[in-house]
Amino acid sequence: MRGALFTLVAVCAIAHPPTGAQERTGTRELTDPQEQAGAQEVAGNQEQSGAQEIAGDQEQAATKGELEEVKGAVQGLSESAMEYRGFVDALRKIKVSGYVQTQWRSTDLMNTAYPIGNFSGGQFGGNVKNVFQVRRGRVKVTYDNVITQFVVQIDAIQTGVVLKDAYLSVTEPWTNSFGLQAGVFDRPFGYEISYSSSSRETPERSRVYQTLFPGERELGAKVFYAPQSGPLSFLRADVGVFNGSGPSANDYDSNKDLIGHIAAQIPLGDMNAALDVGVSGYVGSVRNNTKYLYTMGALANGSPGFVVDSVGTNVSAPVGRTYVGVDAQVYLDVPSIGGAIVRGEYVAGKQPGTSSSTTSPSTQPATGIYRREFSGFYVYYVQNLGDRNQIVVKYDAYDPNTKVAAADFQSGNTVGAGGLTVTDIKFSTLGFGLVHYWDDNVKFMLYYEIVSNEELTGITGASSSLSPYVDNARDNVLTFRTQYRF
Amino acid sequence: MKKLALSMIALAMFVQSAALGEEKITVKGSDTMVILAQRWAEKYMATHQDVVVQVTGGGSGTGISALINGSTDICNASRPMKRSEIDKLKQRYGTRGVEIKSALDGLSVYVNAEGPIQELSLGQLKDIYTGKITNWREVGGPNAKIIVYGRENNSGTYVYFKDNVLLGEDFTAAMQTMPGTAAVVNAVGKDKSGIGYGGAAYGKGIRELKVKKDASAAGYAPTLENIKSGDYPISRYLYMYVRNRPTGALKGFIDWILSEEGQKIVTEVGYFPIR
Repeated sequence: MRGALFTLVAVCAIAHPPTGAQERTGTRELTDPQEQAGAQEVAGNQEQSGAQEIAGDQEQAATKGELEEVKGAVQGLSESAMEYRGFVDALRKIKVSGYVQTQWRSTDLMNTAYPIGNFSGGQFGGNVKNVFQVRRGRVKVTYDNVITQFVVQIDAIQTGVVLKDAYLSVTEPWTNSFGLQAGVFDRPFGYEISYSSSSRETPERSRVYQTLFPGERELGAKVFYAPQSGPLSFLRADVGVFNGSGPSANDYDSNKDLIGHIAAQIPLGDMNAALDVGVSGYVGSVRNNTKYLYTMGALANGSPGFVVDSVGTNVSAPVGRTYVGVDAQVYLDVPSIGGAIVRGEYVAGKQPGTSSSTTSPSTQPATGIYRREFSGFYVYYVQNLGDRNQIVVKYDAYDPNTKVAAADFQSGNTVGAGGLTVTDIKFSTLGFGLVHYWDDNVKFMLYYEIVSNEELTGITGASSSLSPYVDNARDNVLTFRTQYRF
Repeated sequence: MKKLALSMIALAMFVQSAALGEEKITVKGSDTMVILAQRWAEKYMATHQDVVVQVTGGGSGTGISALINGSTDICNASRPMKRSEIDKLKQRYGTRGVEIKSALDGLSVYVNAEGPIQELSLGQLKDIYTGKITNWREVGGPNAKIIVYGRENNSGTYVYFKDNVLLGEDFTAAMQTMPGTAAVVNAVGKDKSGIGYGGAAYGKGIRELKVKKDASAAGYAPTLENIKSGDYPISRYLYMYVRNRPTGALKGFIDWILSEEGQKIVTEVGYFPIR
């Protein structure tokens, strides 16, 4: 292009020599042939030189023009690139992540009388000993603007689609330490609640947490303190106010629950090890829709059982829901083998429920409230074997009613409104499994749970709902799970 | 068919490398460190035929993600790992990750070599990069709009500059983000009104400003003496992270990087040795 333009300019210059050159060579008449020849040569040279000069000027002008064109085009492209970059930068703030967990589960004995319930992956069907499931199918969209975040997460499984998270988070820009989060999100209590199911080395959370915090999330707002640098950067504190009725229900009373957790991270020297510890508290209530409030005491026959308080002022009165918890996690790098993790957590308190359930109610209990003192804990041991494999052992226990022991269940105190029920039985679960990380996305898990109940040796009579628990119920569960996470 | 052929080639390469007993080390992360890491890898492989070191960039954040998801052995980072990143490492591997300081870098501030500005204070830099100062006249230069260049937010350099110069405030929306420090330097070199920041290794052909801690302090250039003495106010460590305490070939490579020979390369590339 540039060469063609140069040729065109040069041809034009020779075909149309400028008149100025003719005028300059015709001012004196020359007679000597040599002089004439010389003059002609000079004139010719001058003419040629002038033409070349002009052609050069024109070429420069053309080149300059062309350069301007190219420059304009480059600027245009640059502006377009900047626009695209801005567009890409904006898109980068949107993060889509998710995971799907499919699993096959098998239990020891086909009998719905053994209430696996919502534990160990959920209740089996009436005639079902093994089942395929989509346990979780999460899609999470985050718009991350550094100090502000928008998050929505859904769970799409075979039974439908439910909302898991929907919240906004704002961190103040001055110290980058304090923030506010509002919407539906994990309750700030302990460690296991907010430990993602996609990362956890066991199929399900501990029984105590599934009971106290079903669904883990809750509607409310919290403030947090999480300094990113400085001497207090090892601390994190969260405290929030929540409906108290779970993640998916409208609240049924005006009482709100206060939940908080303070955690500290302590690196342990040069061993690539760490100790994290935390304490939690929960102060809330459940509204009593009746005048009946049951608490543990001594029945008329002297046996332990529920004693009713039925004063009229109990109607609509809040029944206290209070927990305290401590948690600790130890991380230790074992040379040539892999990191080891020991996690433990203990929680105790008072839980309002019904005669048949200690699960935190998501709707207004229609019957009287039964308030039990409870305790629960878990301990995990996870050993990494290289970067791709883990072995895990976990033990957890939940005693929904610490005021009674197995021997206290007798025929005389397991009937009537004040009687003990299946709900008051202590359960423990010993689980062990293998986890293999196939690649960055795919994980396989094989896990076996030995579920044990208190053996109610004092119960007689096959018709009692407590009969299956005279011995340890055969409700162990084997789970084989695959997970894809992105 | 093509897939089968590729699989066969991959299998053959695997068998060959296994037969040769090659140890493969993957390194991923900071773009600031990518040239340094490549030089380390080249030199090391030249004398250690049994080790293959693969180096890629992508930014500190990308490298740390790769360390967490297990797709790299070493992560290069021009910033320390964040608490949330350490948490993920702990949850997945049971370790905090091992931090290795491998070099020192004076984060340079560049202007076009034709401009008159020789030094700026940290406060002036903050005001320029947060958009409070928009004309060179306000800092003793000509009456011209300041064109601000910077890095993308997945870069450790971006994070470091934001935390240490902007003190956590946001960059001006007018900042033009560049995919690498070399691109920042290139842009400033062509733009008489430009200002940019990046690693010292990329600072050839443009003026690196002296930086003052405050308006009344003396300005210092990003030299070894000034960085080591702490006089130059925008310096940082360049890190390597591994998941576990290193053993075998990985330990050999890291030990070599920290040796006199490895640190000599640090100087050759334009950074500053840690010892």
